[in-house]
Amino acid sequence: MAEEKKPEQRKKRRTATEAASKVAPMVKAMIGNVLQAKEEGKPIASTFICCCYDEIIHAMDIVPHWVENYAGICGAKRDAQRFLEKAEAGNLSRSLCTYALCGLGFDALREELGEMPPEPPWGGQVKPTVMLGSGQILCDPRNKWFQAAQHYMPDVPVCNVGLTWPLYEDDYDYHEVEGYYIKYFVEQLRGLVEFLEKYTGHKMDWDRLSELVDLTDRTWNLVWEAYELRRAVPTPMGTGDAMNTMVPMVFMMGTQEAYDFFKDLYDELKQKVADKEGVIPDEKYRLIWGGGLPSWFALGDFNYFNSKGAVFPVETTYRMIEATYNYDMDLSKISDPLEHIAWRWLKYWTYWYDKARKRPGSQPEVERLIQYIEDYKIDGIVMHEAFSCRTWHVGLIWQLNQLKKIYKDIPSLILESDIVDISSYNEADTRARIDAFIDVLEAAKRKGK
Amino acid sequence: MSTESSLGGLAAAARYYQDYGLRARGLKGQGKKVIGYLCALTPVEIITAAGLVPFRIKGDVNEPITRADTQMETIVCPLVRSCFDLSLKGKYEFLDGLVIPHACDSIVRTYDVWKYSLGLGYNHFINMPHSDDDSSLEFFEAELATFRKSLGGFAGKEISDEALARAVELCNQNRARVRELYELRKSAPPLISGAEITRVLTAAMSIPVEESLELLSSVIEEVKKREGAPAGGVTRIMVVGAQVDDMAFIKLVEDSGASVVADDLCPGGREHWSDVDVTSAPLGGIAERYLRKINCGRTYREMGGTYAEYLEHRFGHIGRAIKDFKADGVILYIYKYCDPFGFEVPQVKGYIESLGTPVLYLEDEYSMSTIGRMRTRIQAFLELIG
Repeated sequence: MAEEKKPEQRKKRRTATEAASKVAPMVKAMIGNVLQAKEEGKPIASTFICCCYDEIIHAMDIVPHWVENYAGICGAKRDAQRFLEKAEAGNLSRSLCTYALCGLGFDALREELGEMPPEPPWGGQVKPTVMLGSGQILCDPRNKWFQAAQHYMPDVPVCNVGLTWPLYEDDYDYHEVEGYYIKYFVEQLRGLVEFLEKYTGHKMDWDRLSELVDLTDRTWNLVWEAYELRRAVPTPMGTGDAMNTMVPMVFMMGTQEAYDFFKDLYDELKQKVADKEGVIPDEKYRLIWGGGLPSWFALGDFNYFNSKGAVFPVETTYRMIEATYNYDMDLSKISDPLEHIAWRWLKYWTYWYDKARKRPGSQPEVERLIQYIEDYKIDGIVMHEAFSCRTWHVGLIWQLNQLKKIYKDIPSLILESDIVDISSYNEADTRARIDAFIDVLEAAKRKGK
Repeated sequence: MSTESSLGGLAAAARYYQDYGLRARGLKGQGKKVIGYLCALTPVEIITAAGLVPFRIKGDVNEPITRADTQMETIVCPLVRSCFDLSLKGKYEFLDGLVIPHACDSIVRTYDVWKYSLGLGYNHFINMPHSDDDSSLEFFEAELATFRKSLGGFAGKEISDEALARAVELCNQNRARVRELYELRKSAPPLISGAEITRVLTAAMSIPVEESLELLSSVIEEVKKREGAPAGGVTRIMVVGAQVDDMAFIKLVEDSGASVVADDLCPGGREHWSDVDVTSAPLGGIAERYLRKINCGRTYREMGGTYAEYLEHRFGHIGRAIKDFKADGVILYIYKYCDPFGFEVPQVKGYIESLGTPVLYLEDEYSMSTIGRMRTRIQAFLELIG
C-alpha cells in the first residue's frame, strides 16, 4: 500500500465572480452524487470531458463520473502523488497523462484494498458500472485509459465511441467529407445507446433526449453570450475564474443546473460591466491564456498575475462551446437528436476552418488566437506546457511562431509544469518568469506608445 | 534499376540503411515524385498505385535533436522528434509530399508543424478511427477514398482499381517475403541476427515496393546459403514495442549475449503478418487490413467474451510468436511519452508472464545517451533467465 501522505493545506483562491465561488461546492455535490448512486445501486458511467454524449447519459438516467475532473481535484488538493506513485509502481510510465495515472493509481489502490484509500479527496472515486471511452482525434488516453483500467477492474465493460472530425487540410474542403463523418458519428452514438441499454438495463427516453439536446443548445449559446461580456474594459472575469466555470460547461452540460448557473453568471457579468467593476481596479495588461491546461495545484498563479496588473479576459482552454446560431447551418431543423448532437459537435470542431482559409499561412488554432486578440484587446499571450499531456500541449510553440509570421509580434510566455504532478512545479521559478514577462509587456507598451 | 541491385541483398540493405534515402534521392533525380510518410499505418498500396515512390521517414538515434526543439515541444515522442529534426536538417530534402496517418497524439498533434515547416507541395492526413467495429471500417474506407482522390490529383492521374489491385498484390508478396525471412530466425542458432533483420527491413521501407521484393528475395537466398550462424548468444529474445527503425537497440541486446529471434515491432513482425484480402473492390480490403489486421496498441480492439479472451485477442499474436520462435524472454521496449504503448505495459507484461515467459520492461528515449543504462539492465535480465 502506498505511504499515506497528508495533503498540504492551501488557502482558498480568490475569485472575481460570485458564480465562480459557487463551483467548488457544486463539484463536491457532483462527486457526492456519484458516491450516493453507488450506494443505491444506480448505474454509473465513467467518462471524459467533451465526450459529446452528455445528453445521452442524462437522458438514460445514468450517473456520470468524470475521471479527469476527479484527477484534477486530487491535483488541486495536492493529494495526487500517492496515486501517481501507485500507477508508476504498476509499470505505468510517469511520462503518460497524469490525469490517467492518478485515476488508474486510485483504481489500483481501491481494488487492492477492497475499499476506498484512506482519506480520499472528497469521498473518492467509485468502481463504475461501465466505462465510456472516446476514440476521437483528440487524445490517446481517452482510447487507452479505460482499457488499462480493466487491468484492475476486468469485469467493467468499456465502450469506445469513435466521434471524430476532419483535420484542417489544404488538399480538399472539409465540407466535402461532412456527409460520411456525420453518418459515422451518428452510428457510433447509436451504438453507445445500445451498449448502455445492454449493460445498465436503462432504456433510452428519446423524448427526454430531444429536450436535453435543446437545453444544451441553449446553454451553449448562453455560455458564449456570458463569456463575450468579458470583452469589456475592465474585464469582469478572468481565466482563473473560467477554470472554475468550466465545470458546469463540461461536466454538467445537458442539465438545468448548468443552464441556471450560466444565467446567473451572465446576469452577474452584465451588472459588473455596467458598474465598470473589473477583476482588478487598475488593469494594465490584458492577456490571453492561449493554450494548455492549468496546473490545478497552482491556480493561485492567476492571482499573482492580477497582483502585477495583468488580467485574462479570454482563454482558448475550456472554451468548449460556440454560439450555435453562428453556425453555417440551422441546427433546429434537425429532428433526430443523435444527428443534432453530431452536427453540433462537427461544426464546433471545424468552426474556425473557413476563417483560417481566408488568411494565407493561417490555421484554425492560430486564427482563433488572432480573433480573440482583436476582440478582447489583448497585449500578450500566456500558454502552459504540461509535460504529461500531448493533447493540448503540442503545437503551442509552432502556433506562436506562426502568429508572429502572419499576424504580429506579440509578447508571449510558455510556462512549464504539469496538470496534476506537483513535483514538476517550482513556484519561485514560475513567478520569476511571470515577473520577467511583465517587464516585457511593460517594455512593449512603452514602445507602442 | 539501382546500382545497389547488383550487390548481394545484405550488402545492398547495408548500403540503403547507411545512407538512408539513397534510392529515393536517385529516383527523384530521375523525375519520380517521392511521398514521405510516418508509421506503418500509412497504406503504401495507394501511394504505389498512384505511381509515386513511398518513403518511410525514420529517425537517427546518433543524431542529437537540435533544430526540432525550436518548433516542436520536447514532450512529443522522441522518435517523432528525431524524424522531424532530420527533416528540418535537410536529410529528406527529396520529398515531394507528406502523408501522416492518425496513429498517435505525437503524430496527430504535430501534423500542422510538419505541414507548415517542411512546406512540401502535398500534405494529407488520413483519419483512421480508433475503433474497429463495422461502422468504423466503413468510415475508414470512405476516408481512404478521400485520400485516393486527393493523391490522384497530386499525381495527375486517377488511381484505378486495377492499379490498386496490382499494388495490393505486390505489397502482399513483399509481406510474404518478410515472413519467409522470419522463418530463418526459427533455427537454433538463427541464420540471421535481429540486428540484420532491422537493417534489412528498415532499408526496405526506403525503396519502392517492387525493389523491396527483389531485395528481400536476394537476402533470403543469401542467408539460406550461410554455413554458420551470425554471432549471437544462445538466449533467444523477442522484442515488443513501437517503431524501432534503428539497429542500435537490437544490436545492444545481441552484444549483451542474446539472439533477437522475434519481434512485435515496426518495421518488423507487426506490419508483415497480415495481408490485404484480394477483392474486386481493393479499397475495402486495404481498409480492413490497416484497421483490423495490424495489431497495434493505437487501435482499440473490441472486447468480446471474457477478459482473458480479450487479452488473448489483443496479445495472442505475441504469445504465438514466443512459441513459434522459441523465445526465452521478452523485452518490452517502450519510448517515453508513448501513450498507445505505454498504457498497455501492465496488461501485456501480465499476459506474457502468464505464459511463463519472463519480461523486461524498458523505457527509453530514442537516443544513444541511454545505452549504458540499457546495457546494464539487459545484461542483468539475461543473467536472470539464462
